[in-house]
Amino acid sequence: MNERVIVYDPFYCSGCMSCMTACSTYNNGATSLTKARLQIMRHEGHAITGIDEEDDLVFDYINCQHCEDPICQHFCPTLAIHKDRDTGAVVVDKEKCVGCGMCLAVCPFGAISYDSTLRRITKCELCGGEPQCVRFCPTGALQFVPKDLAHLPKRDRLGRKKAKLRGRISEEKPV
Amino acid sequence: MSIPSGYAGNVLIVDLGKKTVEIIPTDKFLSDRGIEPRLWLGGDGFITRILWEDFKEPIDPLGPENEIIIATGPWTATAAPQSGRGMLGCIDPESGGFGSGSFGWIFPCTLKYAGYDIVIIRGKSDRFVYVFIDDGQVVFKDASHLRGKKNGETVKIVREELRERYEGEIRVLSTGVAGENLVRFAPPCADGTSCPGRTGAGAVMGSKNLKAIVVRGTGEIALHDPRGLLDASYDAVVKFNEKEPLLKLWQEQGASTCLGTTGNWPLNGGMLAENRDAADFPHFKNVGCMNCFNSCYHWLQIKEGKYSGLRHLGGHMTFLTNSLRNLEIKDFGEWIYFERYLQELGMDPASFSMGFTWAVDCFERGIMTLDDTDGLVLKRGDADLIWEVARKVAYREGKLGDLLAHGLAVASKKIGKGADEIAPHVRGKPYIQRDSKLQALMWSLGFLTSPRGGDWLRLHNVWELAFTPKKIDRYARYIGKDCPTIYDEALNLLDMPAELKKQIFGEAMKVDVGWIKGTGGKALFAAWTENFVALFNSLVTCMFGAATQFLLVGFGPTTYAEILNKITGWDTTSAELMASGERVFNLQRLFNYRLKGWTSKDDVWADKRAYEPGKMGIYKGKIVPWNDTLAEYYAVRGWSKEGIPTKEKALELKLGQMAEELEL
Repeated sequence: MNERVIVYDPFYCSGCMSCMTACSTYNNGATSLTKARLQIMRHEGHAITGIDEEDDLVFDYINCQHCEDPICQHFCPTLAIHKDRDTGAVVVDKEKCVGCGMCLAVCPFGAISYDSTLRRITKCELCGGEPQCVRFCPTGALQFVPKDLAHLPKRDRLGRKKAKLRGRISEEKPV
Repeated sequence: MSIPSGYAGNVLIVDLGKKTVEIIPTDKFLSDRGIEPRLWLGGDGFITRILWEDFKEPIDPLGPENEIIIATGPWTATAAPQSGRGMLGCIDPESGGFGSGSFGWIFPCTLKYAGYDIVIIRGKSDRFVYVFIDDGQVVFKDASHLRGKKNGETVKIVREELRERYEGEIRVLSTGVAGENLVRFAPPCADGTSCPGRTGAGAVMGSKNLKAIVVRGTGEIALHDPRGLLDASYDAVVKFNEKEPLLKLWQEQGASTCLGTTGNWPLNGGMLAENRDAADFPHFKNVGCMNCFNSCYHWLQIKEGKYSGLRHLGGHMTFLTNSLRNLEIKDFGEWIYFERYLQELGMDPASFSMGFTWAVDCFERGIMTLDDTDGLVLKRGDADLIWEVARKVAYREGKLGDLLAHGLAVASKKIGKGADEIAPHVRGKPYIQRDSKLQALMWSLGFLTSPRGGDWLRLHNVWELAFTPKKIDRYARYIGKDCPTIYDEALNLLDMPAELKKQIFGEAMKVDVGWIKGTGGKALFAAWTENFVALFNSLVTCMFGAATQFLLVGFGPTTYAEILNKITGWDTTSAELMASGERVFNLQRLFNYRLKGWTSKDDVWADKRAYEPGKMGIYKGKIVPWNDTLAEYYAVRGWSKEGIPTKEKALELKLGQMAEELEL
């Protein structure tokens, strides 16, 4: 199986948004946060305001999950969306897309966006097989891994966390 | 001239008095003023030029004629590494001279996405307002309900009332309680977390009846070669990770690293090996400004003691250094609370803690009495007492609060009785630690030569400080090397012309104890570093990735040139960029000379103890050769003996117009 997916581990994320600037720069030719195809949502209010001190500083990753049976594909009236079986990416045919926004409405992750300049839908297409977000992630929070093994790095991290809590190892991060 | 890619394209001029807003294309604004973008780049370069044009005579910094200038650069908000920074400048209320400071988190980027390279705020509002920059629209909003609110509360209230569509869409640069009360060292604070410190611009905002500058930006920044920029940035970061010897320390400790690296900083008589333990405190993770690969913020929670449960985003070195050296606070929880409390009030930790420690000195010597201190028995190390004094200063409460709020220089003059001879400041600006002789020569020299007054951040060169004697050489051992090896490798990698390296480090090109303790090459290295700082403050990028600042190797001017060329389409070189830095630094010097008449006679320590033999460290039992080093420094810079740039130097740096005006 060739298919690889992007996985995100909030434990390592520093919230720097290098993934978003790399995404928009590579795909749009200009740097922007709003036009990046993936978003790191920054739930930071309590951290920077000092109010609600019990709350955590949370970064969250929203991007196309490249579903096996994409809902957006089902709803696209012009059949512009299909799943590329080689790369695993759900891609949009720019010629067929009419910019109706139906996919945007039905995507359960909010991972599809509308580009008002192009007047077309834009979404993550895995940069043709080398996702720039993963390339530019300085902390390793984003990984591009075989889909059927994607769960293992997270389990490894969780295992380390448990071991550290029990005082068995000193470093939570892998060496 | 036309503005190249990488710039946002507009300049926003807000007049609070007339309630007018003017949006001018950046190229028109720059050409009207004769500012060539390639010579001045942005950030500190633009701020220096604008201040130069607008302020020919001394002003009351808290009067309506002062300006708040926020300037980003071509680097800001692009995909270049550490692109989250911008600069904020004004006439500094504490020193009366040039003032600017770097700040980050997401505010500067959002401002650029909203379409602005520069924002200038003039005049004084008749009512308490904040300015909301919503992409192309700018409106004045009533801020009467925000009076007396702390920085964090202001962010929360403003974000709620402007109904941001997702969290973090709206970014807020606010002034705290101290700024409202015109405490002269009150910086504004971006998103309650990143302050352009040391400038006192928060007090300027307060004097203008301006609570906050709020921005929403949804645009994009055009680039000359987007994919080339990505490749250049990627290579730069990979090389950084391969060659930077202090990398592991950074990855583990973030911004408190410098205490780890500078293990030879002596505190209270002992060598500071334990500094490394102080710097290596427990935290959940490091968090960064936009596009940072070397993030410095700590997201942490205090586990035990009085402040148990407090969560905080920060843990920065200035607060730790101040707490340890000036306030003698040693408890981790208290130190973190100090940072949180001063951020909420909006006060500069260095200026406050130096003011406090000076007041303690005065109190102990009987220069100040219980009458002057509102009945408080001043001493270091008592956290609750320090919070009480901080509150008094921020609210200008009582005799002591009002006195310290004037800033150290004015306060010491007011008290008299010899208080000004023990006041630790240079040109009205306090520095970071009360004993100026503790550090090695170059770092301390920076206090005397900084355009901001006694300030260390325009010459934070760790090449002297990170050298650790063998017996406490723990970091070197930790990464499997020894200190001389680290220095040999770093010296080869340092991005500096070979000829210059020979002049600084000698023909043998060796860093050893002799070089650390000596004076050879220090003036030249100091001048190079200051030019380099002015360069990255003009681009604008972060000092926490730059060569010599907190790292031994870091990014040098060659890396900057490679990346900047991809952004703008220029064909600039490291030499050209270093000349830009030198130009900016020289104009700052000329600006202070014209405005305040500052010359070599002002490059002196107000605190006479600086001219006595040191009690510890490199200068134990010896007098620091300040005057000889300064004379050498002026010569290296091409300045006159009075410390003024000569006509030849000005012409070389394309400052002919300024030289003519000043009749150099």
